Amino acid sequence: MPDKSSDVVQGTLDMLVLKTLALEPMHGYGISVRIEQVSKGVFRPNAGSLFLAIQRLQRDGLIDGEWKATENNRRARYYVLTKKGRQRLSSETREWGRQAAAVARILEAS
Amino acid sequence: MSLLRNLGSGLRSLFRKEQVNRELDEELGEYLEMAADEKMKQGMSRQDALRAVRLEGGSLDGTKEIVRSGGWESVVDTLLRDLLFAARMLRKSPGFTLVAMLTLALGIGGNTAVFSVMNTVLLRYLPLPNPQQLVFLRLPNAQPDGVSSTGDGDRSFSYPVFEALRKEHAVFSDLMAYVPLAVDKVAVRIGEDPEEAEGDMVSGNFFSGLGVSFTRGRGFALEDETAHASVVVLSYSYWTTRFGRSPSAIGQTIYVKGVPFTVIGVTAQGFYGVEPASSTDFWIPLQNRPELTAWDEEPSLNTLYGTPNWWCIQLIGRLVPGVTESQALAKLDPVFQSAALIGLGTPDPKAKKNILAFSSTQGIQGLRDDYQKPIQILLAMVGLVLAIACANVSMLLVARNSTRAREFSVRMALGAGRGRLLRQTLTESFLLVAGGAAFGWMFAISGSQALAAWSGMEIPFVLDSRVLLFTLTISISCAIIFGLAPLRRAVSVPVGFTLKTSNATAYRDQRSSWSGKVVVASQMALCLILLVGSGLLVRSLRNYQTLSLGLRVDGLLVFGTDPFSVHSDEEKEHFYQNLLARLREAPGVESATLVSHRLGSGWGWNSVWTIDGVELQRPFSEIGMSANHVGPDFCHTLGIPILRGRDVTDADTRSAPKVVLVNETFSKRFFPKGDALGHSVGKNEPENRFTIVGVIGDSKYKRVDEKSKPTLYFPFAQHTPIPNMQVELRTHGNPEALIPNVHAVLHGLDPNLPIQKPMTQRAQFDESYSQARLFARLSIFFGVIAVLLVATGLYGTLAYRVDRRTSEIGVRMALGAQHGQVLWLILRESLLVSGAAILAGVPVAIAGARLMRSMLFGVQPGDMISFLLALFGVILVALAASIIPARRAMRVDPLVALRYE
Repeated sequence: MPDKSSDVVQGTLDMLVLKTLALEPMHGYGISVRIEQVSKGVFRPNAGSLFLAIQRLQRDGLIDGEWKATENNRRARYYVLTKKGRQRLSSETREWGRQAAAVARILEAS
Repeated sequence: MSLLRNLGSGLRSLFRKEQVNRELDEELGEYLEMAADEKMKQGMSRQDALRAVRLEGGSLDGTKEIVRSGGWESVVDTLLRDLLFAARMLRKSPGFTLVAMLTLALGIGGNTAVFSVMNTVLLRYLPLPNPQQLVFLRLPNAQPDGVSSTGDGDRSFSYPVFEALRKEHAVFSDLMAYVPLAVDKVAVRIGEDPEEAEGDMVSGNFFSGLGVSFTRGRGFALEDETAHASVVVLSYSYWTTRFGRSPSAIGQTIYVKGVPFTVIGVTAQGFYGVEPASSTDFWIPLQNRPELTAWDEEPSLNTLYGTPNWWCIQLIGRLVPGVTESQALAKLDPVFQSAALIGLGTPDPKAKKNILAFSSTQGIQGLRDDYQKPIQILLAMVGLVLAIACANVSMLLVARNSTRAREFSVRMALGAGRGRLLRQTLTESFLLVAGGAAFGWMFAISGSQALAAWSGMEIPFVLDSRVLLFTLTISISCAIIFGLAPLRRAVSVPVGFTLKTSNATAYRDQRSSWSGKVVVASQMALCLILLVGSGLLVRSLRNYQTLSLGLRVDGLLVFGTDPFSVHSDEEKEHFYQNLLARLREAPGVESATLVSHRLGSGWGWNSVWTIDGVELQRPFSEIGMSANHVGPDFCHTLGIPILRGRDVTDADTRSAPKVVLVNETFSKRFFPKGDALGHSVGKNEPENRFTIVGVIGDSKYKRVDEKSKPTLYFPFAQHTPIPNMQVELRTHGNPEALIPNVHAVLHGLDPNLPIQKPMTQRAQFDESYSQARLFARLSIFFGVIAVLLVATGLYGTLAYRVDRRTSEIGVRMALGAQHGQVLWLILRESLLVSGAAILAGVPVAIAGARLMRSMLFGVQPGDMISFLLALFGVILVALAASIIPARRAMRVDPLVALRYE
């Protein structure tokens, strides 16, 4: 492992999962791999927190799941973003940008 | 939407656990496989790849557990599992469970029953729509001077006042009037047999204004009032008892004092009239015929419509929504002030001001004030019982849980958190309390019925939502106390300690045995307080029962008559002479007499008199003197001693010289040295003078607990108009056996004549202290429960401790301790505990007894005998509870005890 991967910032995993699914429908393992790849190995959600997040998003009606065959001929549950999920993602992204900028400003203040 | 989805998904995991688990298994399994595939692409063997994935991401089962515990349904799931486990634990010790539940049931049930009385008498509104808008009209300053009054001076108004106020539509959306047809019941005939029932005359808007709903038929309209229609509405309970809920009751004819009325409606169940202390049986519109007068008044004296200063109408109004009581009173005052003067002439400027006031319809009118304090004291007493019961159960739980200390230790050693154990014991105690509360509720249902019967109230004490809330509140607080108290000890035991030591010598520290003793001692102190309270109430009751009434009360039957078909005094005198003559002939009757105000009924007649034409000094010039109209053989029949002079005889008729008997107090008060005989009592006019012909012993008049007052007894026929009389019969045997004979005699005189409220004179006097009797009985009941609970609690603690000390006692006996010394070892403990309890309890009991002063009769709050009896009772309980454990300790065989180790 090049870098020690760290836990996702508290409360942001849901947003990351939504963002990942916004690109294309995906199964659990795919989501995990995609997050790791895109973050260049900084974030690697473990299965427990990932599926907990998936269960939570599903119950909130932000994503939907469906069993499908994978390219390797396995069966997996693919998740897609709902309309409500898309709205939530855009609002959370906006909010995150605001907060991150604010945090950065605080940290940069001398 | 998402809430629904969340709920649905959670429910799916709860009820289709298998399938949801399988899906999760499959999904995670695939995840694992895909991760492993990735590793294998990098050249790992399949086995190594799977191992590496597990090392990175944790075990499959661990992950599953994390996902599963994420939803709300997992909380429900553990709760269910806790419940099942608790139920299993309780089922394993059925004896403990039963005792604990029954103890709680007694405590909770008793509290619920007493609270239901409080709810009905003090808190509950009339069962009508928007009862907060309803107000009774009151006269806190009493009626104006010069009015002709009924007994209810603070709540009766004249017809002109009613007419004026009912037009105030800005204040009242409706003002309803009701007038009793008699003080008590009135003669009624349905079919052949005469009987009596309680009836009111009411205004046409009575039912519509109150919002009474109807089971059958309809209520009155305003035209029924103006036309004085001959229609009648029955109450649900009268319809039930008299017509068996037959629909054909509508349209039937009821004769009220011989006047025919047609039944047009039956009110809804649960409506007992606006003053439900005694339920109303029927209602008729306001009447103007001479047979049906307000309060059964003599029509030649006062009539509802003809006498503007006859204040006899009671009023209840429904305020217009949004109008506050003070705004309403301010608007009504000028109208009331002018209407109040109608028929009274010019007012005396010095006279007291007439004040109109409202009183809420909460509770039961007339009972609220009498019962408020006693019920609070009863609730405090039954609260003590609950405290004792709670202490008992929590001691039981402590004992049980300390034998489970090993179980808790093992579970903690295996990693159960204290929170987890706390939840477990809380669940167990909730289950216990739930069982106790359920039993208690059943107990309260029968308990409140018994209370209603004992207190002589005609309406049932309802267990409504407010009572349920009360029961739930006390139950939940019990459950929390039980769950926490025993656990504190169980989890404070060091884990290693219990696991290492054997069962018999298991952990026992001084502190824990102390806390047990403190609980028992405080229980006994509470018990002492309760026993003092019940002792005082029981001694009060004894005083009521054994008080000399001044007459031979046993063997007397009393009943009322209402010869409504007889009008002139001449006819009336003849009627009663005839009745007495026939009754004297009737089998079983030894002697018979008449009295206008029934003895012991609480009703009496007060009037201002002169002696030898001279006005009396205060207070007799203002409050007057007690008096009664009596028939011939009055003293002889009632067994009142004649001190000087003679009894009333058959010769004291309307036309005979006017005479009067006086009691001893009268004679001593007004003729301390001389002889009262030959002097006269009367009004100012000389023709209204009554010569004193007899001085008789003092006897009780209105109630048992009254003081002797100067009292006059007039021959009934020598007053105008002659009142309706009560008949007193003396017999050798059981007085109530005379009732059929009396029926026969009355039927022979007039088939419409009912026999009113026949009862033994003893029972009538008993009614005057029914409240004291109810409270004494209840407090005995509470006292007995408290004693039983304390005895079992103390017994349990001692037996448990003897059990734990078996080996210690064995050692002591092996070293030469005698039986007596072992006995003392155990007894000393229980005596020390009761000593501490007495020291703590007596001061509180003294303070508590002071609060009860108003409920006591002939007993001081510091009554020595009550206190000594209570102390004796507590010590007796302590000894009785220690005998069995002490004997068991004495019988310990040192060999067995030591080998047991």
